[in-house]
Amino acid sequence: MSELNEMSCEEFADLAAELALGVLTGRERARAITHLDQCDTCREHVRQLSLTGEEMLGLLPSREPPAGFETRVMGRLGHPAIARRPKRTRRMLATAAVALAAVACGLGGWGLRGAISAPSAGNPHTAQASVRTAALLTAGHQTDGRIFLYNGSPQWLYMAVDMDADMSNGMVICQLEASDGHIITVGSFHLDGGYGSWGSPDPLAAGDVTGARLISLNGTVLATASFTAAK
Amino acid sequence: MGIPADRLPDETLLAGFGAGDADLSLAFVRRFQRVVFGVALTVIGDPTTAEDVAQQAFERAWRHAQVYDSRRGSVRAWLTTIAHNLAVDVIRVRTSAPVDPQDLPALLTAMTDTPERFAVAHDNAAGVRRALAALPAGQARAVAMAGIYGMTARQIAEVEGVPLGTAKTRIRDGMEKLRSAYLREDVGDE
Ligand SMILES: [Zn+2]
Repeated sequence: MSELNEMSCEEFADLAAELALGVLTGRERARAITHLDQCDTCREHVRQLSLTGEEMLGLLPSREPPAGFETRVMGRLGHPAIARRPKRTRRMLATAAVALAAVACGLGGWGLRGAISAPSAGNPHTAQASVRTAALLTAGHQTDGRIFLYNGSPQWLYMAVDMDADMSNGMVICQLEASDGHIITVGSFHLDGGYGSWGSPDPLAAGDVTGARLISLNGTVLATASFTAAK
Repeated sequence: MGIPADRLPDETLLAGFGAGDADLSLAFVRRFQRVVFGVALTVIGDPTTAEDVAQQAFERAWRHAQVYDSRRGSVRAWLTTIAHNLAVDVIRVRTSAPVDPQDLPALLTAMTDTPERFAVAHDNAAGVRRALAALPAGQARAVAMAGIYGMTARQIAEVEGVPLGTAKTRIRDGMEKLRSAYLREDVGDE
């Protein structure tokens, strides 16, 4: 059993920091990794050192990038048209941001903060977080808002409405349609001069939502949204 | 009103970025470009190469947004790691030493001297920052050379003019102190 090459935990501890920082090379690295494969204690030790190293990188000073940086990044990723978005959309997004910030700050008891700062428990599971978004359309196919479904942990949805100003003041109701066709009412919010937004933890699994609609208190459907099937 | 989209949570912006939403993508880049560029510039030193690396970092984040796992750490930490890995790859192929030890005290001061950003939200970071400030100078330099510039113990021994064993011990002892501080703050959180 006792191969000359084998490393003890004590020996390993001398190299753990170098391994965690990615600066161990050659034979030392190979032997250390072999030890790691069979020793839970040392693996946990290295994990803590890696997180510590990441925390140290978080202390590096931020620096203003050269002018035009964001435009070049966006161009590189195929978003060239950022500059000419209509004002209306911006205003709407801003409204949505308010609602979402309120939700994220813990209304309903599901603040994101705790969820994201919790250190890993070594769970190898990989989260598949994504946002699905769909336009809210009136019967005349005019875009009146947007609904977002965030399929992460926690899941949430929010809706931002920007109807023509003469349209409505007052309460509207948001409903979701599940893949089996049933409809649930998830909440209501107030439109003011045609604007309003609202967010909530997603009551359905986000992947199970196929559509949404906005109705007035008297039951008139004001707008509908439909999500393309989740892959 | 004038509340910007950057009030959205980091995860939301990242998810929107990965999904190709133009507004959320722009907000994401705006929120994190200083952090990403700061990492690249610190490691690389040359602004032109640093910008290229920072752009690559965003591109990589965009490609891998789907596999970001919030339980592994914050979006900021994830992006920082991506930018750091790319930056270290760049300086590793250089023949010159990645950093002059003479320049390290200024960097270490910058890293340990910015309490306002870390005072409230980042308790682990605050602990690591305090511990880094308290390290003996040789250990602090060794930890920075290995952890930030990706230098091996042998390279550190060379630029510092100390035996290899001394360089290795400095890395180990320095990192262990930071780790203790990190864990202490972690427990204090709960
Ligand atoms: Zn062991």
